[in-house]
Amino acid sequence: MALSKIDVANMVTGVTPVANGGTALSSGFTNGGGLTGSDMWRVTADFAGSVNPISSNLERCDETGFGRIGTGMTNSSGTFSFPSTGIWLVSFTAFHYTDNSADYISIKINTTTDNSTYALVAQGIAQMHPVDAFSQGTATCVLDVTDVSTCKVRFETDHADTSNKIRGNSGYNRSWFEFIRLGDT
Amino acid sequence: MPDKKGRPDHIEDALSSMHTNQWFTYTDSKNKIYANVRLTEKIGVNGELVDNPVTELPTETAVNAKLKEMQDAWDAANGG
Repeated sequence: MALSKIDVANMVTGVTPVANGGTALSSGFTNGGGLTGSDMWRVTADFAGSVNPISSNLERCDETGFGRIGTGMTNSSGTFSFPSTGIWLVSFTAFHYTDNSADYISIKINTTTDNSTYALVAQGIAQMHPVDAFSQGTATCVLDVTDVSTCKVRFETDHADTSNKIRGNSGYNRSWFEFIRLGDT
Repeated sequence: MPDKKGRPDHIEDALSSMHTNQWFTYTDSKNKIYANVRLTEKIGVNGELVDNPVTELPTETAVNAKLKEMQDAWDAANGG
Protein backbone atom coordinates (compact mmCIF):
# COMPACT_ATOMS: atom_id res chain seq x y z
CA MET A 1 0.00 0.00 0.00
CA ALA A 2 1.35 3.40 -0.89
CA LEU A 3 2.40 5.61 1.98
CA SER A 4 0.18 8.73 1.87
CA LYS A 5 0.91 10.29 5.23
CA ILE A 6 3.79 10.36 7.76
CA ASP A 7 3.26 10.86 11.47
CA VAL A 8 5.88 13.62 11.70
CA ALA A 9 5.20 14.52 15.30
CA ASN A 10 5.97 11.02 16.52
CA MET A 11 8.44 9.72 13.93
CA VAL A 12 10.81 12.69 13.58
CA THR A 13 13.15 13.79 16.34
CA GLY A 14 13.47 17.44 17.32
CA VAL A 15 10.87 20.18 17.10
CA THR A 16 8.60 20.10 14.08
CA PRO A 17 6.17 22.57 12.52
CA VAL A 18 2.78 23.10 14.09
CA ALA A 19 1.19 22.20 10.77
CA ASN A 20 2.73 18.74 11.12
CA GLY A 21 1.52 18.23 14.66
CA GLY A 22 4.70 19.53 16.28
CA THR A 23 5.31 22.29 18.78
CA ALA A 24 6.84 24.86 16.39
CA LEU A 25 10.23 25.58 14.89
CA SER A 26 12.52 28.02 16.65
CA SER A 27 15.08 28.51 13.89
CA GLY A 28 15.52 28.09 10.17
CA PHE A 29 12.14 28.23 8.48
CA THR A 30 10.28 29.50 11.51
CA ASN A 31 6.54 29.46 11.91
CA GLY A 32 4.96 32.44 10.19
CA GLY A 33 8.36 33.21 8.72
CA GLY A 34 9.27 35.24 5.66
CA LEU A 35 10.68 38.67 5.01
CA THR A 36 10.19 41.10 7.86
CA GLY A 37 11.15 44.39 6.25
CA SER A 38 10.55 45.98 2.86
CA ASP A 39 10.34 49.55 1.63
CA MET A 40 10.66 51.52 -1.58
CA TRP A 41 11.34 55.21 -2.26
CA ARG A 42 11.58 57.13 -5.50
CA VAL A 43 12.81 60.34 -7.08
CA THR A 44 9.85 62.60 -7.86
CA ALA A 45 11.44 65.21 -10.14
CA ASP A 46 14.15 65.36 -12.79
CA PHE A 47 17.57 66.78 -12.03
CA ALA A 48 20.79 67.24 -13.94
CA GLY A 49 24.45 66.91 -13.06
CA SER A 50 26.32 65.15 -10.27
CA VAL A 51 24.47 65.05 -6.96
CA ASN A 52 25.67 63.62 -3.65
CA PRO A 53 23.63 62.85 -1.72
CA ILE A 54 20.35 62.85 -3.58
CA SER A 55 18.56 64.84 -0.91
CA SER A 56 15.28 66.26 -2.14
CA ASN A 57 12.33 65.42 -4.32
CA LEU A 58 12.12 62.01 -2.69
CA GLU A 59 9.02 60.19 -1.51
CA ARG A 60 7.99 56.77 -0.34
CA CYS A 61 6.22 55.06 -3.22
CA ASP A 62 2.49 55.64 -2.90
CA GLU A 63 0.97 54.46 -6.14
CA THR A 64 -2.17 52.37 -6.08
CA GLY A 65 -1.42 48.95 -4.64
CA PHE A 66 1.92 49.83 -3.10
CA GLY A 67 2.76 48.02 0.11
CA ARG A 68 5.63 47.69 2.52
CA ILE A 69 6.57 45.42 5.38
CA GLY A 70 7.28 47.02 8.73
CA THR A 71 7.74 50.67 9.51
CA GLY A 72 10.08 51.27 6.60
CA MET A 73 13.07 53.51 6.11
CA THR A 74 13.54 57.01 7.51
CA ASN A 75 14.88 59.68 5.18
CA SER A 76 16.62 62.78 6.48
CA SER A 77 17.91 64.99 3.65
CA GLY A 78 19.03 61.99 1.67
CA THR A 79 20.44 59.95 4.55
CA PHE A 80 18.40 56.78 4.95
CA SER A 81 18.18 55.00 8.30
CA PHE A 82 17.01 51.43 8.75
CA PRO A 83 14.09 50.52 11.00
CA SER A 84 15.82 47.45 12.40
CA THR A 85 19.12 45.60 12.39
CA GLY A 86 19.61 42.74 9.97
CA ILE A 87 20.93 41.80 6.58
CA TRP A 88 19.42 44.27 4.12
CA LEU A 89 19.38 44.21 0.33
CA VAL A 90 19.62 47.77 -0.99
CA SER A 91 19.34 48.74 -4.63
CA PHE A 92 19.21 51.94 -6.64
CA THR A 93 17.75 51.91 -10.13
CA ALA A 94 17.76 55.08 -12.22
CA PHE A 95 16.28 56.19 -15.50
CA HIS A 96 18.94 58.22 -17.30
CA TYR A 97 18.43 60.75 -20.03
CA THR A 98 20.66 63.06 -22.01
CA ASP A 99 19.84 65.57 -24.70
CA ASN A 100 23.49 66.23 -25.41
CA SER A 101 25.14 62.88 -26.23
CA ALA A 102 27.25 63.34 -23.15
CA ASP A 103 29.35 60.32 -22.16
CA TYR A 104 28.51 58.36 -19.01
CA ILE A 105 25.98 58.53 -16.20
CA SER A 106 26.90 56.73 -13.00
CA ILE A 107 24.79 55.94 -9.94
CA LYS A 108 26.27 54.94 -6.60
CA ILE A 109 25.29 53.60 -3.19
CA ASN A 110 27.38 54.94 -0.30
CA THR A 111 27.17 53.52 3.21
CA THR A 112 28.50 54.28 6.64
CA THR A 113 28.88 52.12 9.75
CA ASP A 114 29.82 55.00 12.05
CA ASN A 115 27.24 57.60 10.95
CA SER A 116 30.09 59.72 9.63
CA THR A 117 32.40 58.33 6.98
CA TYR A 118 30.70 57.08 3.84
CA ALA A 119 32.22 54.56 1.45
CA LEU A 120 31.19 53.53 -2.05
CA VAL A 121 29.73 50.02 -2.01
CA ALA A 122 27.94 49.71 -5.35
CA GLN A 123 27.94 51.43 -8.73
CA GLY A 124 25.89 51.25 -11.88
CA ILE A 125 26.78 53.02 -15.10
CA ALA A 126 25.36 53.78 -18.53
CA GLN A 127 26.94 55.20 -21.65
CA MET A 128 24.84 58.02 -23.05
CA HIS A 129 25.07 58.13 -26.84
CA PRO A 130 23.68 59.38 -29.14
CA VAL A 131 21.72 62.60 -28.51
CA ASP A 132 18.37 61.92 -26.80
CA ALA A 133 19.70 58.70 -25.32
CA PHE A 134 17.73 56.86 -22.66
CA SER A 135 19.11 54.17 -20.44
CA GLN A 136 18.59 52.55 -17.08
CA GLY A 137 21.20 51.46 -14.55
CA THR A 138 21.13 49.58 -11.27
CA ALA A 139 23.47 49.38 -8.30
CA THR A 140 22.86 46.74 -5.61
CA CYS A 141 24.46 45.76 -2.34
CA VAL A 142 23.75 43.62 0.71
CA LEU A 143 24.46 45.32 4.04
CA ASP A 144 24.92 43.95 7.54
CA VAL A 145 23.12 46.54 9.62
CA THR A 146 24.36 45.88 13.14
CA ASP A 147 23.33 49.24 14.62
CA VAL A 148 20.50 51.36 13.23
CA SER A 149 21.99 54.52 14.70
CA THR A 150 25.29 54.20 12.86
CA CYS A 151 24.65 52.08 9.75
CA LYS A 152 23.09 54.29 7.09
CA VAL A 153 22.94 54.68 3.34
CA ARG A 154 23.00 57.48 0.78
CA PHE A 155 22.53 57.61 -2.97
CA GLU A 156 24.64 59.53 -5.47
CA THR A 157 24.79 60.34 -9.15
CA ASP A 158 28.10 61.03 -10.87
CA HIS A 159 27.68 62.40 -14.37
CA ALA A 160 30.26 63.09 -17.03
CA ASP A 161 28.35 66.12 -18.21
CA THR A 162 26.03 68.55 -16.49
CA SER A 163 23.38 68.00 -19.15
CA ASN A 164 22.93 64.37 -18.11
CA LYS A 165 19.79 63.82 -16.09
CA ILE A 166 18.10 61.44 -13.73
CA ARG A 167 14.39 61.22 -14.44
CA GLY A 168 11.87 61.34 -11.63
CA ASN A 169 8.13 61.05 -11.33
CA SER A 170 5.71 61.31 -8.43
CA GLY A 171 3.09 59.06 -9.95
CA TYR A 172 5.12 55.98 -10.77
CA ASN A 173 8.65 54.67 -10.45
CA ARG A 174 11.24 56.01 -12.85
CA SER A 175 14.20 56.13 -10.49
CA TRP A 176 13.89 54.36 -7.16
CA PHE A 177 15.53 52.86 -4.08
CA GLU A 178 14.59 49.42 -2.74
CA PHE A 179 15.21 48.10 0.76
CA ILE A 180 14.49 44.47 1.66
CA ARG A 181 15.40 42.84 4.95
CA LEU A 182 16.67 39.36 4.14
CA GLY A 183 17.30 38.10 7.66
CA ASP A 184 18.92 38.62 11.01
CA THR A 185 22.37 40.10 11.34
CA MET B 1 8.73 65.28 -19.19
CA PRO B 2 9.99 64.23 -22.57
CA ASP B 3 7.64 61.85 -24.24
CA LYS B 4 8.94 58.42 -25.16
CA LYS B 5 10.54 59.86 -28.26
CA GLY B 6 12.41 62.40 -26.19
CA ARG B 7 10.61 65.62 -27.12
CA PRO B 8 10.45 67.98 -24.10
CA ASP B 9 6.84 68.51 -23.09
CA HIS B 10 6.78 69.74 -19.49
CA ILE B 11 8.11 72.66 -17.45
CA GLU B 12 10.26 70.16 -15.55
CA ASP B 13 12.29 69.59 -18.71
CA ALA B 14 13.07 73.29 -18.78
CA LEU B 15 13.67 73.61 -15.05
CA SER B 16 16.13 70.72 -14.89
CA SER B 17 18.01 72.21 -17.83
CA MET B 18 18.37 75.69 -16.34
CA HIS B 19 20.61 74.69 -13.42
CA THR B 20 22.25 71.51 -12.20
CA ASN B 21 21.50 69.58 -9.00
CA GLN B 22 18.23 69.41 -7.11
CA TRP B 23 17.70 73.16 -6.96
CA PHE B 24 13.91 73.14 -7.30
CA THR B 25 11.06 71.22 -5.78
CA TYR B 26 7.28 71.38 -5.71
CA THR B 27 4.89 72.21 -2.93
CA ASP B 28 2.73 69.43 -4.37
CA SER B 29 4.70 66.80 -6.23
CA LYS B 30 1.45 65.39 -7.64
CA ASN B 31 0.59 68.70 -9.26
CA LYS B 32 3.64 69.89 -11.16
CA ILE B 33 2.59 73.33 -12.29
CA TYR B 34 4.66 76.50 -12.19
CA ALA B 35 2.70 77.90 -9.24
CA ASN B 36 3.92 74.98 -7.13
CA VAL B 37 7.62 75.30 -7.98
CA ARG B 38 9.88 76.30 -5.07
CA LEU B 39 13.61 76.55 -4.44
CA THR B 40 15.16 73.87 -2.24
CA GLU B 41 17.09 75.10 0.79
CA LYS B 42 19.99 72.67 0.50
CA ILE B 43 21.53 70.61 -2.28
CA GLY B 44 23.88 67.62 -2.09
CA VAL B 45 27.40 68.35 -3.33
CA ASN B 46 30.39 66.07 -2.79
CA GLY B 47 28.75 64.26 0.08
CA GLU B 48 27.69 67.42 1.88
CA LEU B 49 24.50 69.45 2.02
CA VAL B 50 25.22 73.05 1.05
CA ASP B 51 23.06 76.10 0.55
CA ASN B 52 21.28 76.17 -2.77
CA PRO B 53 23.29 78.57 -4.95
CA VAL B 54 20.15 79.34 -6.94
CA THR B 55 18.42 82.09 -4.99
CA GLU B 56 15.71 83.20 -7.35
CA LEU B 57 13.07 81.29 -9.24
CA PRO B 58 12.96 81.93 -12.96
CA THR B 59 9.77 83.59 -14.10
CA GLU B 60 7.03 81.53 -15.65
CA THR B 61 7.69 83.35 -18.91
CA ALA B 62 11.36 82.36 -18.78
CA VAL B 63 10.49 78.75 -18.05
CA ASN B 64 8.02 78.59 -20.90
CA ALA B 65 10.51 80.24 -23.23
CA LYS B 66 13.16 77.68 -22.25
CA LEU B 67 10.74 74.85 -22.91
CA LYS B 68 9.87 76.31 -26.31
CA GLU B 69 13.56 76.66 -27.12
CA MET B 70 14.15 73.01 -26.22
CA GLN B 71 11.18 71.87 -28.28
CA ASP B 72 12.36 73.86 -31.29
CA ALA B 73 15.84 72.40 -30.98
CA TRP B 74 14.44 68.90 -30.70
CA ASP B 75 12.16 69.41 -33.71
CA ALA B 76 15.03 70.77 -35.78
CA ALA B 77 17.19 67.81 -34.88
CA ASN B 78 14.43 65.30 -35.58
CA GLY B 79 13.00 66.65 -38.79
CA GLY B 80 10.04 68.38 -37.18
